[in-house]
Amino acid sequence: MTVALSTLPGEAAPVAERPVLEVEELVVEYASRSRTTRAVDGVSLAIAPGEIVGLAGESGCGKSTLGNAIMQVLRPPARIASGRVLFHGEDLVRLSGEQLRRHRWRNVSMVFQSAMNALNPVLRVSDQFVDMMRSHERVSKRDAVGRAGELLELVGIDRRRLRAYPHELSGGMRQRVIIAMALALEPELVIMDEPTTALDVVVQREILQQVRELQRARGFAVLFVTHDLSLLLELAHRVAIMYAGEIVEVAPAAALRDDARHPYTAGLLSSFPPLTGPVERLSGIPGSPPDLAAPPSGCRFHPRCPHCVPGDTALHRRQVAERPVLREVAPGHLVACHLVEEGL
Amino acid sequence: MSQLQPTIELAPATTPAARTRLRIPGWPALLLRNPKSRAGIVLVGFMVIVALIAPLISVSNPTDFNLLAARQAPSWHHLFGTTDQGSDIFSQVVLGARRSLVLGALAGLLATVLATTLGVLAAYSGGVVDEAVNFLTNVFLVIPTIPLLVVISAYLKSRSMGTMIVVLALTLWAFEARILRGQALSLKNRDFVLAAKVAGESTWRIVFGEIMPNMISRIAAAFVLVFYVSLLVDAGLEFLGLGDTTHVSWGMTLYWAQTNSAVLQGEWWPFLFPGLALVITVLGLTLILAGIDEVSNPRLRDEVRRRGFLRSLVLPVRRAA
Amino acid sequence: MSVLEVRGLSKEFGAGGVLHRARLHAVDDVSFSLRPGRITALAGESGSGKSTVARLIARLYDPTAGKVLFGGHVVGRRRRDALRYRSQVQLIFQDPFGSLNPAKTVRHHLARPLRIHGLASRRDVRARVEELLETVGLVPPAAIADKYPHELSGGQRQRVAIARALAVEPRVVVADEPISMLDVSIRVGILNLMRDLKERGIAFLYVTHDLASARYVADDILVMYAGQVVEQGPVDQVLAGPLHPYTRLLIESVPDGHGGLAPIELRRGAAAAAVDPAPGCRFVDRCPLAIGVCRERTPALVEARPGQAARCHVTAPAPTNREDIHAQPAA
Repeated sequence: MTVALSTLPGEAAPVAERPVLEVEELVVEYASRSRTTRAVDGVSLAIAPGEIVGLAGESGCGKSTLGNAIMQVLRPPARIASGRVLFHGEDLVRLSGEQLRRHRWRNVSMVFQSAMNALNPVLRVSDQFVDMMRSHERVSKRDAVGRAGELLELVGIDRRRLRAYPHELSGGMRQRVIIAMALALEPELVIMDEPTTALDVVVQREILQQVRELQRARGFAVLFVTHDLSLLLELAHRVAIMYAGEIVEVAPAAALRDDARHPYTAGLLSSFPPLTGPVERLSGIPGSPPDLAAPPSGCRFHPRCPHCVPGDTALHRRQVAERPVLREVAPGHLVACHLVEEGL
Repeated sequence: MSQLQPTIELAPATTPAARTRLRIPGWPALLLRNPKSRAGIVLVGFMVIVALIAPLISVSNPTDFNLLAARQAPSWHHLFGTTDQGSDIFSQVVLGARRSLVLGALAGLLATVLATTLGVLAAYSGGVVDEAVNFLTNVFLVIPTIPLLVVISAYLKSRSMGTMIVVLALTLWAFEARILRGQALSLKNRDFVLAAKVAGESTWRIVFGEIMPNMISRIAAAFVLVFYVSLLVDAGLEFLGLGDTTHVSWGMTLYWAQTNSAVLQGEWWPFLFPGLALVITVLGLTLILAGIDEVSNPRLRDEVRRRGFLRSLVLPVRRAA
Repeated sequence: MSVLEVRGLSKEFGAGGVLHRARLHAVDDVSFSLRPGRITALAGESGSGKSTVARLIARLYDPTAGKVLFGGHVVGRRRRDALRYRSQVQLIFQDPFGSLNPAKTVRHHLARPLRIHGLASRRDVRARVEELLETVGLVPPAAIADKYPHELSGGQRQRVAIARALAVEPRVVVADEPISMLDVSIRVGILNLMRDLKERGIAFLYVTHDLASARYVADDILVMYAGQVVEQGPVDQVLAGPLHPYTRLLIESVPDGHGGLAPIELRRGAAAAAVDPAPGCRFVDRCPLAIGVCRERTPALVEARPGQAARCHVTAPAPTNREDIHAQPAA
């Protein structure tokens, strides 16, 4: 899949070059005794250097699994059944344990939702930085602490906080520490899995601002996974919408906001009440996300889709029987929907 | 939404599987579906049937004195052989099952009733009641069970089964009360208990109608645990010679075999058969316990599936962080 | 006119260790009233005390000071009075996975309130339960009623929780962040349900951290910070023209989906510490407008615009203090 890059108005376009990361037809399965669940089902996605890609979807749609698969931190019973995850053309799925350990954090790092779980509660912040750095490169303890101090100041925390234990920091500060740790080895890609979901709006805003500034200054790429589409529309260059294990729409943020083509995306957009303008009754999306162990036939969104009207029409037959594939409807704007294919 | 759905996607607070404890409807069915507890139920069920039909299959009075038939190896006439007194070991073992099972079950029942009532009461009431119950459990927890039983058995004139049951229950309930109190404490602050309060439920109904049904698996586990510990302790005391020598039980058969140095004379059967009966019963109960743990804790269920049934029996359970 | 009134409500919790005893002022002198057929939003960040207010109204806590008046009367402590109150004032919890008993069917959850308060005879319970399920949009009711909570999705569970609250035909419903744990696509359904139920004359208190959803459902809004109400008024008016700098900060922080991430203005400072608060405004360390008096005196809730009040020496000065504030130089 080739992806045209796009930008927000008024910003320099990231230079189009070979993607940092390419995910090709990735399938991740959870196997249990009785059944196999495909949490990620044939997903392809590319991330260019210095690009912020948002990945939005509801709980259980496979977005975190996709993030974990890219980071290669899936735990059994989850496993990659097929597909490739290419980092600068090298397939991560084939790496050995030791190669993977070297690759992780140095090339791709991750920020988890729960900062409290990601930090070791009995170690000082400085020790956690030092341990992490020294497991990847030869660096004296002094230098490591010095760099840790710089990193903390980068995310707006006083250097003296290095001596603190995680529980002595507020939730927002812990999440900033995690972000600083993710940036410590200057990776080319940072995966952020709901990094602000557990935080208050004001703190969330501060952290997003910081991520954006850091990303501009240092040029790393970000895969930002969240359920909050409105947040991505502000933060990301490009947004991918995931539903029931599949990517149903990918588009530059502005295009997605103004011209969402997939009914699911449109439904998500109309699920956020606006803070300004007239208050109109919103419709949301009827029903609830499907059970991935037994996904609906055809288009997985068809049972909830307002444009799927039962009847003996060719369109309806396609909707319930045929899986739509991603097609480009505008430069960089891909949609997997029968309506779009039929030109409706 | 099914309990088996992978839950990595969901935030911990919304993980349905982790929050769902064993429910009453259908939990015997779940136990039967679990391979471990099914095996356990079969073993224990076999012993119960043996105990029930014991008078019909015991060929003679089990303490009969018959020197002509003494020290016989197992044969068609004496399936499990005879003791040095010439008594039939098969009859001793099948009749002994009655004592072991009744004693274990009654001690388990008594200890569980004590532990549940006091534990849940303490957790829900809090304050002085909780302090008092806590103190009491702590006192009972530091009493060493076996030495106490040795002393009591040595002093009491009637070392009847009733006494044993009461003493065993009294020394074993405290451990369970602790666990049950802990679980009740965590349930007490769950939203559904507060919701019941907002709905106007009385304290009595909240404790017995809302909290208790969520503890069934834990309570059943407490019962099984006390059951087999009592059974082992009782057999152990008898083996040490602190039992009632006139009665028939597995421990007594072992005691006589030991006293009369059966092994020195190459007689394996007076040890093997009562020992095997003990092993089968305790293994069965342990398997049931493991099964209860598994069906009420979905995390263990997954663990087992990954590691295979046999390995999960042998290796200690690694609790996922 | 008001069905439920809260006057000077305060709740303190013990905090700190053995050596350093401290008091957490979770709720500090909160007053407001709820009117039938209106939704009042109670907004604030976590730790602001908004959930404690909800639980105080639901009588899950006893207030340290102040009172809750229902129909103009203080509610008695006897069980009969408490029961009567519970049949009129209901609470919906945040977590639909925790607020339903996993060992009980949906039917149990709806039938118990009916039985406790004698609202339906044994024979009518079944029909009434199904009627309630239909009210909250759960169909077919007969099938849903026999399910266990784990067999339902998050949105369905929250609807059951709402049905349970409605079972007693309450006049007041306190909803404590009812949508924050639900998927985005089903949140609107719950909000619409609240808007529809409002038409039945129920007075709602909608506790939330989400201003956009508050604007969508509510008529009035109270903004809480560190245990105090810092601003209140009609929701449109407050969100269009906030008086308190904290309300402004909250509004600016909401992602509105229009791109750009406009930087928010704030001073760095510790958030909302209501443990042994010093005199003065609690927002002072984070406030871009702070002046000298803000550290000395706690501002009062002053009605600076018709219907809109705020606790701020700068934007909503008390009439009597106007001169001495202007006399102070900015800090």
